[in-house]
Formats: sequence, structure tokens, C-alpha cells
Amino acid sequence: MIAVLQQLVDGLGRGSAYALLALGLGLIFGVMHLVNFAHGEPVTVAAYSVYAAAMFGAPWWALAVVAVVAAVLTSLAIEFAGFRRLRAADDFTLLLTSFGIAVLVRAGFSMWVSTTPRQFHRPAWIFDTVRAGPLALEIYDLVVIAVTALTLVGTWLLLQKTMFGLALRAAAEDFDAARLMGARANRLIAGAFALAGLLAGIAAVLILMRRGQAEPDMGLDILLPGLLAAIIGGLGRLEGAVLGGLALGVAQSAFRAWILPNSLSRLTEAAVFGLIALLFIFRPEGILSARRAERV
Amino acid sequence: MLRVAGVTARYGNITALRGVDLHVSEGELVCLIGPNGAGKTTLMSAVTGLLPVTAGRVLFEGEDVTRDSPDALLRKGLALVPERRRIFADLTVEENLLMGGVTVAPAERRRRLKEMEELFPVLAEKRTLHAGYLSGGQAQQLAIARALMSEPRLVLMDEPSLGLAPALVEVVFQLIQDLKKRGTTLLIVEQNAKKALAVADRAYMLRTGEIVDEASGQDLDRWADLFEAYVGG
Amino acid sequence: MRERFLAPTVGAVVLWGVVVGVASIAAALGTSSTNTLVTQMLIDAIVVVGLQVFIGNTGMLSFGHPAFGAYAGYVVALLTMPVSRKLIQIPDAPWGLAEAEVDPTIATFAAVAVTLVVGAIVGLALVRSGASSGAVAATMITLAFLFVTHEIALNWTDLTDGGGGLGFIPRLDGRLPIVLSLLVVLLVGRWFAESRPGRLAKAVREDGLAAAASGVDRVRPQMAALFLSVLIIAVGAVLRVRALGSMTPSFFYFDYTLLTLAMLIVGGRNSLTGSMLGVVTITAGIEFTRILAGESVSIPGLDWLLRPNLSDLFLGGAMLGFMLIRPRGLLGDWELDHWLRRWIPLRRRSTPGAVSDRSGRKHILEAKGIGATFSGFRALSDVSLRVETGEIVGLIGPNGAGKTTLINVMSGLVPGHDGQVLLDDEDLTGLAPHDLAARGIGRTFQNLRLFSDLTVRENVEIARIAHDRRGHDIDVDALLHAAGLTDVADRRASELDYGNQRRLELIRATATAPAFLLLDEPTSGMGEAESSAMVDFVRHLAGEIGAGVLVIDHDLHFIVSICDRIYVLDHGELIASGSPDVVRNDALVRAAYLGED
Repeated sequence: MIAVLQQLVDGLGRGSAYALLALGLGLIFGVMHLVNFAHGEPVTVAAYSVYAAAMFGAPWWALAVVAVVAAVLTSLAIEFAGFRRLRAADDFTLLLTSFGIAVLVRAGFSMWVSTTPRQFHRPAWIFDTVRAGPLALEIYDLVVIAVTALTLVGTWLLLQKTMFGLALRAAAEDFDAARLMGARANRLIAGAFALAGLLAGIAAVLILMRRGQAEPDMGLDILLPGLLAAIIGGLGRLEGAVLGGLALGVAQSAFRAWILPNSLSRLTEAAVFGLIALLFIFRPEGILSARRAERV
Repeated sequence: MLRVAGVTARYGNITALRGVDLHVSEGELVCLIGPNGAGKTTLMSAVTGLLPVTAGRVLFEGEDVTRDSPDALLRKGLALVPERRRIFADLTVEENLLMGGVTVAPAERRRRLKEMEELFPVLAEKRTLHAGYLSGGQAQQLAIARALMSEPRLVLMDEPSLGLAPALVEVVFQLIQDLKKRGTTLLIVEQNAKKALAVADRAYMLRTGEIVDEASGQDLDRWADLFEAYVGG
Repeated sequence: MRERFLAPTVGAVVLWGVVVGVASIAAALGTSSTNTLVTQMLIDAIVVVGLQVFIGNTGMLSFGHPAFGAYAGYVVALLTMPVSRKLIQIPDAPWGLAEAEVDPTIATFAAVAVTLVVGAIVGLALVRSGASSGAVAATMITLAFLFVTHEIALNWTDLTDGGGGLGFIPRLDGRLPIVLSLLVVLLVGRWFAESRPGRLAKAVREDGLAAAASGVDRVRPQMAALFLSVLIIAVGAVLRVRALGSMTPSFFYFDYTLLTLAMLIVGGRNSLTGSMLGVVTITAGIEFTRILAGESVSIPGLDWLLRPNLSDLFLGGAMLGFMLIRPRGLLGDWELDHWLRRWIPLRRRSTPGAVSDRSGRKHILEAKGIGATFSGFRALSDVSLRVETGEIVGLIGPNGAGKTTLINVMSGLVPGHDGQVLLDDEDLTGLAPHDLAARGIGRTFQNLRLFSDLTVRENVEIARIAHDRRGHDIDVDALLHAAGLTDVADRRASELDYGNQRRLELIRATATAPAFLLLDEPTSGMGEAESSAMVDFVRHLAGEIGAGVLVIDHDLHFIVSICDRIYVLDHGELIASGSPDVVRNDALVRAAYLGED
């Protein structure tokens, strides 16, 4: 029982970042039917910004702010430079464009910073453990779970209680009808990218606390679990994305702890991702999603 | 108030409108009839900026709005109740109405929401219901109420009686007449020509993307018979 | 050889000659490092052909195809590496691999076989996901596949020795095997595009729904494209590993995906000729950036740009630039043989005769008690109707009455409806659209659905070849002739004017040799003269193939002049049926249509 709880906490901590990224992917998919393969890049830029700020000796809370701001700006820049002129493009073009952007960001950091990872300092207390009865929990895990919970509640309030959130939900359902109500298309899409960037920034903070380094490939690395989570939940379904992310994290912990033999524990990610991809043979429409009818 | 001058538009590979001319004056109720595929909905899309106009101009209150986006037009006072209503099924009735008032200040939005709920008691009753669960008639009322939230001076309605039972068609046309009495200018596309012509001040006949006839006053009654003969084969 | 394959064969050989020619000239002029580069380029060309076969024909974007190469590469490496070397690097390899050393040719066959098995598993997930939710999920699966493969290669050290990779693999002698392989894969790739599965895959790419309604089962052609592409990539990968003499996890990972995709996109993903142009262009471009970024070049003021990894920036930039400015690549879907065709003498066809001579027995298509509900909205309730071969039956009713929904039910597009669809008392309820089409139910769509990027003739031919219905052979030329489309048969469907597109959609449905044609507003958007010509055409076609017709239209003139019987729908219910005169004078119909009380 204790072991199960321990793994659950570990899994939720791992899945939190996936959930936040998947949520952002879902928001962007909702307003412009784009699966944004560049959605990992706000995390990359956040990581290098933190690295730069850490060189100037910024305190840990300032690094977190830097990460979030950098991610939001990156997400907005991606929308502005890449997608503003592709509003009516087909899926293939949108996908490859986002992929191209991801490649460019990666190439940029390889060229002008370094291909090797850049480390920065993290406060030592995040890996202290606290005991809660029989459980030994890292402060890191607690912070991650708390921050994610707060972020999700905040996002939920934003979507449910503000006009901006209402417009986003309306646009996700019928973009043209939302425009007919007076919602401004460009602002709405930019808003979705900004919100997705904010979520990616918070995810970046969680990821960087664990990794403590910036590298050119990290955006593409983190993109895959985020995408898988979004698709498990059914693309564009926001609750699904969050559940998908958390489920993915828990599945990874469970695989590592109980299913794979010790000698193969390094293959955890490969095993989990491979299995999920295979699940599409049986549930092509997404594991949590319902089928939607197409009008002809 | 609205002038459409020589508008041509394409829908995919189809040239759906060929040099359409029409106008709507302040306070008028103008009706646009024609067989399916004539381009009525395309015209609505072209006027509201959902579909690009390839030639010709659209003027609203003397201003050239040919290239305006739907949201810009709405801010200027022109609203469309789209074909098949297109209410947001996943949002509640109240959220649909609030979305209709997305352009106005919060306090004003609340006031209009109350006004709409007085005007449409059935919507007030179903305030927290997801709009997807409304019946056809209720959904049409919601679509109209949603458009009125922005207090438009000109309302375009695309097939307001579509898919409604005869009793509900009555309700919708009563509503249209009430709107006219309140001073709203209306341009209505209708397949239910007899009903529409009975309430209209003027009418245009659109066929294969062109305005083929125009009528007002006495002629409208004659048209109703003519249309009957046409549809009746 | 069949005539259709003649020009593509010549085209592929010429294309091969040009690519190999360019490579040879470059090799002759350059240094030994150019020589390596040329070998690399020819191998990349093979892999890109493999990519093109899948991405071009199916329209699905795959990031994972190079990962198939990883499986082929490791198999060939593990089988051909000298035992002495294995004892140092991978003494604990499973399945006795540490002691095995086989001939490179046998190893190549083994590599291809293993890769095909992997392809079958991945392909099933890929094609299944593409079948219902668009290409997006499929693309994501390919990315996962790429990642998973790389992780396995990196971490299963007993087998792969991890990131450092395996070496001492017997090298190829000269470029001849590569050059010959390129010829073979170009031929096969070009033939596939013209073959039955290739054309069916392209139809699905253009419009999955229209393809299904024409009788195309999307899974089989897509799987065929996938298997062929996997096979070609496996061959390319074996050559790559044997040319380099080593194999590492990064050989077939992200950078190779990026490189080969850029080659495909820049040249034009729908064209083999374009892909080859892309291979040459990108290879030259990368070499150029490499020289620029090297030590020997220094341009004042540009030093910030001329750094290592400039080639990645170039690849990403090329990909992004083409997507933003010219998403279909340099050549679009133009092939060399389109141009060569002018010089290849082809038999002219004689004037076509009858579309098909069919005096078959009677069939009856019935819908019984059909009901359908969409998110609470009752679109149809308890509707029954019946059509026999040889008659033309009308379906009318106001907008939103459920007419299109009924036709969708009868052609298999509405899963989970109530009631039954029967053909000669056989229950067809719940069959997929392509199965219904194969049993003789053809249809058209209210908003034209053509295979826009395919030619007029291909549109019709695909419908004819989509399924085997022996004894129901339809003459495509006769159909084109009847529709007046013979002169524009080689034009793209999207280039036709509206009336011709409508006629094309109608003859495409006819080419499936249907016993029943379901037509959804065939005159919508037409002028009066055009409409009445359409009336005649529908009547003529239906008579010639002896089909029964169920036609929706708003134009009562049209319906009355063409139909033997008419059904009237309102609010999802049947309110009247009978002969045109009976229906026209029915009070309910008048109320529904004219708003009379």
C-alpha cells in the first residue's frame, strides 16, 4: 500500500508536466486545428533563459519568473512568425510548419550556444525529503503536485469564469460562429498561444527543477509525452489532456517499479510509449475520447 | 443602410454569386428568396466577411466594408443569425448569450442578458442547460437572442424557419415582426417564401447566383402565388 | 507490359540516368571526400523514394520511416560483424548472435524480412489511426516509433553496444549495388503510383469519404504503400550501413528524418521526379553550408552565421520556407514521364461504344424503419422507402428534413442508426461505406467531393477498379464520352468548371457499376439550361446501366420531370409518397413546402 502511494506520488509528479503541455496543445488545437510540434520549444527557450539568468546570479524565484515569461513570449512569437499566414492551410502543411519551427529553434541553440547541455544551479532544498507518516516524499514532488494543482484550478477558472475563456471555448467548437459574435480571430488565437505558452512555462519550471540543465533537444524530447497525453485524452478535449498526462506519468512509474525487470528499467519510456502507440490499433479515436460525427 | 453592389464570390470551384445588387434601407424588412443552391447562404457569408468577395463592393451605412472581417462588422452593428443556427452546443444557454455580447462592456452585457431572458422566457428557464439539449425551436430563439445581445442595427437571418414545426415557424415569424417594430432593420433569407413574403416590405429573388427579380407592396402577394406555382411545378 | 506502365518505366529509367549522371560527374570532378558524399547521396535517394512511396501516395506525414532503417541496419550489422569483434563488443548478445556470422546477401534478406515484420505492426497502428481521426494521430505514432526505436537501440546494450554502435561490418565493393538498387526502387516506386493499390491510395489521400463511397477499402492500399516503403527503406538502410561499415543508434534517428523529409518536401512530396530533385538540391545545399561554415571560409560581418550546425539551420529553414511559400514543393506532382509521354507513341483508342450492356435481373433496395439521432436531435424517425432497378425515385422535402441523412444511412455513413437497409432481402445494415459501394450502391454528394488533384480519367478509373465485380465491366472511355469529358480527360478534376465537375462526379459513381445510384442534389447550383441537360444525362445513364436511381432535389420541376415515384420527407418523417401528381396535390406536402396551413 505504501509502495503504491509512493509510486502514485512519483507518477503524478512526472505526469504533471505532461498534463500542462498536453493542455496547451489541446488549447491550440481547439482554435486552429493545429497539432503544434513546436510546442516543446517554449520549454527549450525557457531553459536557456534560466541558464542565462542563473549566470547573472538570479535567485531561484526570479529564475522561475524568467522561465514563464520566456515561454509565453516564445509561444507568441511562434504564432506570429509561423502561423499567422497559414490560417486556412491543410493539416499536412500546418504539421510540417510547426516541425520546421522546432528544428530551427534547435539548430539555433546548437549553433549559437552549444550542442552540449548547459548546467545551472538549483536550490538544494528541493530534493530534501519530508516524512508524512510512513511515506517519504521529496519536496520536489510536493512542489510539482501543488503547483500543477494550482495551475489547473487557475486555468479552469480562466476558461469557465472569464469572457476570454468563454470565447476560447466557443471558438474551439465553431470558430466562424465565434467570429460572427464579434470575437477577434487573431487575438483569440494569440491568446490561446499565450495561455499555452504560460502552461508550457510552468511545465518548464517543473522540468528544469529536475533536470537542472538546458539542451537544444529538450523541446522535442518533452514534446512526445505531451503529444501522447493529448492524443490519449482525445485531441482538443481539455479534461482528457490533463487526465492523459497524469495517466502517462503514473503508467511510467508503475512500469519502472513493477512491470519491467531491473535490467530493462532504462527502457521504461520506450515500453510505455510503444504500448500507447499500439493501443491505437484498438482505440483509434483516442483512449478517453468519444467519436465525433463528420458532416457531409 | 446596406448596399451590395455587383458582388461576385466563389465557393470552392463554384462561382456562386455573379454581380449581385441589392440594398436594405433603415427600418425595412427585406426578404431574399430563391431555390436551394441559388447562392443565398453564400451571399450572407460574403456580406458578413466569412467568404472573400472577388468583385464588387459591400457598403454598410455608406462605409465600404467589403474587406471587413465578421467581428469588425459586428462592432459596426451588423449581425448574422447563421444557417442551421450554429449555437455552441457545449456551452450553456446563458454562456451562448454572453458570447453574443462579447463585444460590449461587462455591466452592459449583464443588462442585455436580463433583457433577453425577459424577451425569451423559455431561455431564462433553461439558463444552465447545455445548448445542445435545446429543441429546434428553442435553439432558433437562442440563436436570434444571441445575435441581439450586441444590439445590432441590421440583422441578417439565414433560414430562420429551417427544420421547425409549423407552430414554431409562427413563433419565429412573430418574433421577426416584433423585432421590426422595435426598429431593427432585417434582411431575411427564407425558403418558406409564403410566410416570409407576408411579413416583408420588399423582396428579391435570387436564382443561380443572380438577382432575377425584385418586388414590393402589392407585388409581394403576386409573388407568393408565383412562387407557389414555381415550386408546385 | 501494359500500356499504362510504359511511360512511367521510361520516365523512371531516364530519371535514374539523370541522377546517376549528376552523381558521376560530381564524383569525377571532386576529391575523395566528394566520392563519399556522392555514395551517400545515392543511398539517401533510395530512402527518399521509400518515403515518397508512403507519404506521397497516402498523404500521411511520417517522421518515423527512418526508424525502419534502424531495424534493417542492426540486423545486417549483427549478422555480418566478425565473431572476433562481437566477442569484444557484445559477448552477451541473445539468440546466439554472438557466434553467428553470415554472408552479407543472406543478411540483407534477413534484414528486410525483420523490418517488414516491424512494418506490419507499426503499419496496423498507423493505418487504423489514420482511418478515423485524420492524419494527425498517425503522425504522432510515427514520432513515437522513432523515439522508441532509438531508446531501444541506445539502451539494449547487450545487443547494440549502446550509443557507440557496432563496427567492422564488411563494406560494399564500389557503388554498383547502390546504383542498381536505385534503378529498381525508382521503377518500383513509379509503377506503384500507377498500379491499382497506388491509385486507390491516392484516391483516399484526396478524399477518404468519396473514396469509400466509390468502393475503396482504405486499409489495403495504405498498407500496400507502407509495406513497399518499408521494403525500400530497409534496402537503403542495409546499403547505408554496409557503405559506412558501422551502425549506431543515431544513424536512423532525428537528424536523418530531418534530412530525408527536407529532401522530399523541397522537391515535391507527390512526385518521384521532385523527390530526386530534392535529394540533389539538399545534398548540394548542405555541402555548400558545410564549406561556408568550415575553417577555410571567412566572410567579414557574417562570422556569426558561419558556424558549425549551419546545415541544420538550412534544413529547418528550407522546410519552413517551402511550407510557407510553396507547400507542394518545386515540382508539385509533375513527373518526368508526363513530359516524355509526348514522344512515346500510344495507340489511339477507337470511338467508344456503349457504357455497358446490362439487361440483368431485377434488384430491390429497401430502407425499413430508419431512425437516426444526433446529440439529442431526431433527424429521422421510422422512414421506409424502396427503389427497384430501372426506376427513378425522387426524395424531396424542405431544408433540414433529413433527406441527406437518409442517403448517408443508405450508403453506410451513419453508424448506429435504427432500422435496416436491405438489398434483395439481404440485410446490409452496419456495413462500411466501401462494402456497400462494392455491393452496388453508388452515390454522389451535395457538396461535390472529387479527387481534386487527380485527373478526370483517374477519378473515373479509380471507381471502376475499386472492387472486383465480375460481369459488371464499365467502359471508362464510353462514360467520359457520354459526359462530354473526353477532351479534358487528362486535366486535373479541380480545373473543370462546375457543370463538368457535377457530371464527373455522376459518372464516377456510375463507374462502380452500381445497381442503385443515390444522387444528392445533382442540379444544385446549376442554371436552368444546365439543369435540364443534367436531367437528360441522369436518365440516359441510368437507362444504359440499368440502375435504379434515388435522387434528392429541391427543384420540383426536375423531380417531377424525371421521377416515376416520389417520397416526401418533413422533420425526419415520411409525409407522403406516390406518383408525381399525387404528391404534388397532397395537402401535407403543400403545407411543408409552401407554408400553407
